[in-house]
Amino acid sequence: MKRLLQHLLVLVLGSWLVFSWAQTPVRGGTVQSTLWPEPPGIVPGLFLQSPALLPGTKIFESLLTYDFNLTPQPMLAESWTVAPDGLKYTFKLRRNVKWHDGKPFTADDVLFTFGEFLVDVHPRSKAVFQRTKVTKIDDFTVEFTLEKPFAPLIRSFDTIGAPVLPAHIYRGTDFRKNPANATPVGTGPFKFKEWKRGEYIHLTRNADYWRPGLPYLDEIYYRFIPDAASRALGIESGQFQIATQNDLELRDAARLAKLPALEGTAKGWEWGSPIAWIQMNVRQAPFNDRRFRQAVMHALDRNQVRDTIFSGFAKVATGPIHSSSPYYEPGVRQYEFSVAKAEALLDEMGLKRDASGVRAKVKLLGLPYGEVWNRAAESTRQALRRVGIEVVLESTDAAGWVDRLKNWEFEMIMTFLTTLSDPALGVSRTFITENQRKGVPFTNESGYSNPRVDALFAEAAATIDEARRKQLYSEVQKVLVDDAAVVWLVELQWPTVTNRRLRNAVINGMGPNGNFAEAWLERAR
Amino acid sequence: MRLLAAFASWLPRALLTLAAIGLLNFTLIRLAPGDPAAVIAGESGAADAAFIDRIRSDYGLDKPMPVQVAHYLGRLARLDLGVSYRSNLPVWQLITQRLPATLLLTVTALLVAIAIGTTLGIASARSRGGWLDVAIGSFAMLCYAMPVFWVGLVLVLVFSVGLGWFPAFGMASMIPKQGTAHLIDVAHQLVLPALTLSLLHLAVYVRLSRSSTLEVLDRDFVRTAQAKGLTDGQVMRGHVLRNALLPTVTMAGLQIGHLVGGAVVIETVFAWPGIGRLAFDALLQRDYAVILGVFFVCSVMVVLANLVTDVVLRLVDPRIGR
Amino acid sequence: MSTSNSRNWRLWIGGGTLAAIALVALLAPWIAPHDPWELLGPPLEPPGQAFLLGTDMLGRDLLSGLIHGARVSLLIGLTSSLCALLIGVTVGALAGYFGGTADRVAVRFTEFFQVIPAFLFAILLVAIMLPGLKSVIVAIALVTWPPVARLVRSEFMTLRSREFVEAARSLGLGHRQIIVREILPNALPPVIAVGSLMVATAILTESSLSFLGLADPNLISWGYIIGSSRPVFREAWWLSVLPGLCLFVTVLSINLLADGLGDEGNPLLRSRRGGAP
Repeated sequence: MKRLLQHLLVLVLGSWLVFSWAQTPVRGGTVQSTLWPEPPGIVPGLFLQSPALLPGTKIFESLLTYDFNLTPQPMLAESWTVAPDGLKYTFKLRRNVKWHDGKPFTADDVLFTFGEFLVDVHPRSKAVFQRTKVTKIDDFTVEFTLEKPFAPLIRSFDTIGAPVLPAHIYRGTDFRKNPANATPVGTGPFKFKEWKRGEYIHLTRNADYWRPGLPYLDEIYYRFIPDAASRALGIESGQFQIATQNDLELRDAARLAKLPALEGTAKGWEWGSPIAWIQMNVRQAPFNDRRFRQAVMHALDRNQVRDTIFSGFAKVATGPIHSSSPYYEPGVRQYEFSVAKAEALLDEMGLKRDASGVRAKVKLLGLPYGEVWNRAAESTRQALRRVGIEVVLESTDAAGWVDRLKNWEFEMIMTFLTTLSDPALGVSRTFITENQRKGVPFTNESGYSNPRVDALFAEAAATIDEARRKQLYSEVQKVLVDDAAVVWLVELQWPTVTNRRLRNAVINGMGPNGNFAEAWLERAR
Repeated sequence: MRLLAAFASWLPRALLTLAAIGLLNFTLIRLAPGDPAAVIAGESGAADAAFIDRIRSDYGLDKPMPVQVAHYLGRLARLDLGVSYRSNLPVWQLITQRLPATLLLTVTALLVAIAIGTTLGIASARSRGGWLDVAIGSFAMLCYAMPVFWVGLVLVLVFSVGLGWFPAFGMASMIPKQGTAHLIDVAHQLVLPALTLSLLHLAVYVRLSRSSTLEVLDRDFVRTAQAKGLTDGQVMRGHVLRNALLPTVTMAGLQIGHLVGGAVVIETVFAWPGIGRLAFDALLQRDYAVILGVFFVCSVMVVLANLVTDVVLRLVDPRIGR
Repeated sequence: MSTSNSRNWRLWIGGGTLAAIALVALLAPWIAPHDPWELLGPPLEPPGQAFLLGTDMLGRDLLSGLIHGARVSLLIGLTSSLCALLIGVTVGALAGYFGGTADRVAVRFTEFFQVIPAFLFAILLVAIMLPGLKSVIVAIALVTWPPVARLVRSEFMTLRSREFVEAARSLGLGHRQIIVREILPNALPPVIAVGSLMVATAILTESSLSFLGLADPNLISWGYIIGSSRPVFREAWWLSVLPGLCLFVTVLSINLLADGLGDEGNPLLRSRRGGAP
């Protein structure tokens, strides 16, 4: 009996030891990541193409970061307070942070970033930070003051929207032409080492990183592999440990995620929350009649689109706000797949079938971003043909597509947009009347205009009462979905496939665009 | 001396042609719908007119058309191909980075095509009318009819996916090796794409070598040589190959320039990092400087190839030339 | 190799196959078992009972796709070749007949087009005019006409000094009538042989353009099927191999036919410069 107990004890202790040893992060290791296409530069703010963000977010940091619920977490700011009237935000900055060139990080850098840099160059954040005035209280305290409350502000301090740049390198220079852009200097866990054009970007561990003992990894390589099949092969064979977003065809990602040595996740894009939809030029008939738009919603089998076209990496979108958002309202009008309902609405509209069974002939401009979108356009055409709407597909390249979008030269256009971390930042821009700006993409191109919607969005942006905001956004979702302002398709999910040996790659709402300070590689067995 | 005179008369024509090509391409691309500034802006999710204008002025896209044309032609004269707006690198650098890959592929393929084609052609001629002749002729005809991307895909399916003998994509392993290991690696990756390309082009060389062999075999001096007791092999080596050399070199010279320009498809199938693919990607991005640069460089290659071929012909056979 | 016997069998086999393909193309809407665009079956089904040649990633029937694809490939091949012929014959006739400055200009013009990297030019044209039936036809035509022009030019130069032309001129016939009614019919036979080869080149060029994604999204063509199936080509070999086989057989039969028609149309002596990569 004693013998048995002893053996049991050894077994338990041993397992616990082995288990915890396996769970303990180890120092060292090189991570090979895919990256495509080769970005023009990697300083966030100056370069916002998706592939620029992946390396950039390892080198630079921001005041805050965000978990999966988009709740703010400290980063370069240790703590912060928001005045009750919402007009003053005070941030206490970390003290022991150094730039990669050795100079200390102080409030000066924050002042420069938010007062001079972002408001000049960042296409998305400049609108946010033009509302604020940044002042230095002392070397490690800054204050943001506003004239009107702006609730989304607290969610705008991520590395992609608000990277903190070194004032001593950029102040007074032409930001875009500054030679430091080629050898970026940040505060992040990884330093820029080398960029071999056409081959790779090489980052190395920042030994003086402000989090003691971190990062665990020694090096990261971002390699430019132009062919999707090669990238899939690379991660399958273990040559690469991580491939994310558009680096893998969805079909491949689904297959790879099931392999024993790999794992896949769709989490980590909460800061972006992309949604795809078809928007119509509501200045023209029949798109100006909401019954037409509702009919199209009913005619599309969005479950099939999710499964067949997006290989399961999608979620049917019920409305303008992403289901992961705290403001998401599930109680909106449902548009289930129903050919009968679609036909009824079209009949009610007066769009009867003619001799050849056609009710209307429309043009659909698809997205030129790959085979997935070609299939989406094709399946939309087939679905609408079934209810009597003849669709002619138009194709163009990326430049032409943006051109036609911003100049409103389309009848129906398929698009997707990141709805960002707050509806006031990423959602309202598509629907409010005053954002109809011809010549500027990603505004209200459809021409949808509803004064009730305008009022709801305006009030929700101006108040910081969370309960009230939830109420307002709830209502605006109901109105927009009732109106079928656009035909929502799916919430996009971008897969990140990693080798199981790579741990802590996706640990918060920034996902693979987190700074990888806590990422580590299990030793190869 | 005559060579110099020929060159002197050739030069102005060549320069005029190249200038005309530059002008043509410039006009065409600028006529295209789509604004490169918006593409950059689009990718970053931006919606700011000022931002887009900033990009436009940064890259010189906002000057009036005639000014842009004049600048462009002037720079061409200095062999300055401009800067790629997407990667901020000089176009010349991008092209010189990628051109060797295309040259490696096309020259290898051409040499293989010539080698196989000539051998088959000679064998075909020697068996004139026999089953070998017919078989080789049919084989050549089959090769000529195949679409390049289909051949490539089939070879990949059989030899890479199926048998696992060769890698399917790229010019080197994804994580490149060093030194001789790298050279062997590249050679390994080169096999399938070069084979694909050479299959497509060998038909011409089969025909060429066959007819020139037949010519030689029919001539009197061969019969004389045979009467003198020279072996068949000696006859072959001596006269046949030399006779076949001329048309082969001519054809190869004419082809090489165009092969480089036509490499887009094969480079797409095999993800080969050459200038064909560079041009195609640039086209989709409306990266004017790059696509114009590749066009120009390919045209220069054709012109140069024609010149070199002409020179070689005159040197080899002094009877040529008016 | 060009005994009348072998010429005969090539004529028959080539012509016969081509006629069969043309028939299939013509009758496509009636003989295809399904609408090629309709999402019918399970995705990526290998060739089998329900779907003879399998399905693609959206569950569309490949057999129907191939049958309708024949239509598109032949249509584009023929139309663009006809356009190319039109351009080439016009340029060549004017150059060969009038000689002098017209000839010099035409020759420079033709040479210019032959120096341009043909396929890159075609891609450029399609991208500029936006992918569609019209732009593909125009692009292929603009890239394949030069060989015809040269041939017609030399024919005209030979023929214009013949007696029947002198006779026509003394009768008072105008230039246009002489060109069209007197010389052209005599210049045509070699042009026909070259023309038939141009159709093959045009079909291959169209398939390459579709493969690269520069195709009309409302038309299903063989190249398009192969190109759009690239993401799944490892799992679904039939989507790449079978449409390519159709292309191969079509082009082969055209080449056989051309070869059978006569030595002047000898395909293997021409290099593949005029458009097909």
